[in-house]
Amino acid sequence: MNLLGAGILKGMAVTLKNFIGSYFDKERLNTLEYMWQNDKSLPKRAGDYPKEEGEQLRPTTTVTNYSRNFPMLLHDDGEPMDTIRCVACQICERECPPQCIYIEKSDDKKERPGGKPQFYPATFDIDVSVCMSCQICVEVCPFDAIVMNSQFELSTPDRFNGLLLKRGDLLKSNQYYHKIHPEEAADRDKRIADDKAAKEAKKKAAEAAKEAKKKAAEAKAKSEAEANSKEESKDPSEPPQTSTEHNKEENTE
Amino acid sequence: MNWELIKDILLATVPLLVIFPTMFALTTWVERKALARIQNRIGPNKVGVPMSRYGGKLSLFGLGQPAADGIKMLFKENIVPTGADRLFHLLAPILSLIPAMLVLCFLPLNFPWLTDEQNSVKAFMLDGAVIFFFAITGLNTLAVFMAGWASRNKYSLLGGMRAIAQMVSYEIPLVLSAVVVVMTVGSLNAGEIAKSQDGWNWFVFSPWGLAAFIIFFIASLAETNRSPFDLPEAESEIIAGYFTEYSGFKFALFFLGEYIAMFAISGLAVTLFLGAGDGPGAEAYPSLKVIWFLAKICVLIGIMIWLRGTLPRLRVDQLMSFAWKFLMPLSILNIFITGFAWHAENNNEEYGFTIKAIIWTASLLILYLTAKGLDKVNRANIKPRTYQYGE
Repeated sequence: MNLLGAGILKGMAVTLKNFIGSYFDKERLNTLEYMWQNDKSLPKRAGDYPKEEGEQLRPTTTVTNYSRNFPMLLHDDGEPMDTIRCVACQICERECPPQCIYIEKSDDKKERPGGKPQFYPATFDIDVSVCMSCQICVEVCPFDAIVMNSQFELSTPDRFNGLLLKRGDLLKSNQYYHKIHPEEAADRDKRIADDKAAKEAKKKAAEAAKEAKKKAAEAKAKSEAEANSKEESKDPSEPPQTSTEHNKEENTE
Repeated sequence: MNWELIKDILLATVPLLVIFPTMFALTTWVERKALARIQNRIGPNKVGVPMSRYGGKLSLFGLGQPAADGIKMLFKENIVPTGADRLFHLLAPILSLIPAMLVLCFLPLNFPWLTDEQNSVKAFMLDGAVIFFFAITGLNTLAVFMAGWASRNKYSLLGGMRAIAQMVSYEIPLVLSAVVVVMTVGSLNAGEIAKSQDGWNWFVFSPWGLAAFIIFFIASLAETNRSPFDLPEAESEIIAGYFTEYSGFKFALFFLGEYIAMFAISGLAVTLFLGAGDGPGAEAYPSLKVIWFLAKICVLIGIMIWLRGTLPRLRVDQLMSFAWKFLMPLSILNIFITGFAWHAENNNEEYGFTIKAIIWTASLLILYLTAKGLDKVNRANIKPRTYQYGE
């Protein structure tokens, strides 16, 4: 027979244990305080941080590698606008659930390193006051051009323009991406390389097939010429042989 | 114009309006800190005196948080829904604060600067102070329903309806458990009740007083919408209940009213059961009584916070059956036990300790077995929930 109300007392003992334990056992506290409060080597205020090139505030080295906030645009090594991956296909703009992306396609095409001339975004704005950090734009992008940033210090006194990130604010180098999300960036680069290799292999295969076809056509022409010379002695109503059979004959010969 | 009287009235009331709102501000901080620690978090620890311009910051464990909250509340936009009844939407938070503030004067806080000659301004010396207390706290229900109705929001209305059902139900065990003290003292005068407990004769140190105190405490949790009885403002079910549509300062008024009501009802519990201002050194230095009284209120508030960090919320049917099928029969039984115990003790004084031991054992046994039996009967009626439309 259990005592009436014993369950409540048991529960209260558990909470009391946690309450007191949190003062003596630092292991219990799982809250990470705002970074520069504890790290004495870091400056005391956000404004004191040295700005790195292409970054608004400070390096986001203190958040985990899995932290995601708002999207950013990637560019490869070189001048940002020369190596931007985005081709202004506007898939992300159409897929964005809260409709926070605004893209204007360029009129001219631009040469890309190791590729054909492509369009580029003349305007690429993301309203981070609307963005819900769903990462759908990242998932739909066929060019690996948009990925998630982990920068979170975006507070600004300007409610409208300050929270509207322009193309220049969004452009980040691939190295920066490697710095904030090493594993993810490595995976993505590997996939891009694999895709490229597969594409190359396919291209080669297609070229080989083309070559074979060309050869086959030559062979066909040859055999037809031979047939024409024989036609005088044979029945003219006989249908001409197909090219594959010609190939076989060639192979067997 | 009787300026003397007005001065006395101000001397009796203004301290109440200073002490309790200050305690409210500190309690919000303590509550956030304690709940955080229970969940192994740190809690508010940043807001302090901003001195960053002069190098460094005085954070004082986040003690500036109540001030920051207050400033935030003051400057927030006052949003009134389009379909709301503007007048009653405005009146409801005011009406929820007024009764809570008003009943504070029925607590026997005998300030040292008021002598016996100024008894006429001490509201707790009124014959019937306890009745007044219950009558005025009952107004709170009206404010809550007014808020729910005037907001023109289904969640607000649901919260208001729940609050009415809950407060009306729990008022009964609350009053019935207070009756035993009134019976024993023979007075409704809060000052008399306090005086009769001087010298460690607290009513909680008696079998029926202990039972009545537990019932009173549980019912007071429900009366002030505290967890685990916070159904009228259940966030996971009905957003914020009756104050869903309140923002800014009106919300702050509701918040303040709720906490002041908590202090008031804890103060009544202290008056009735915990010996009011009695404590070590109170006989020699009567001014210590105010300190002891407030300290006991703080202990009860601490237990309320502790319970909030521990218990999950009840279901509506559990809440109702707990009031009507468990607390009410028990509190009625307790009245009878009090009568028997009082007569047994006063008519057999020559047996001294023996009769006391018999009364203690018998009363506690009867109360416990009844509670256990009621619990068993109530549990028998709890069946797995059946759904009409769902699986």
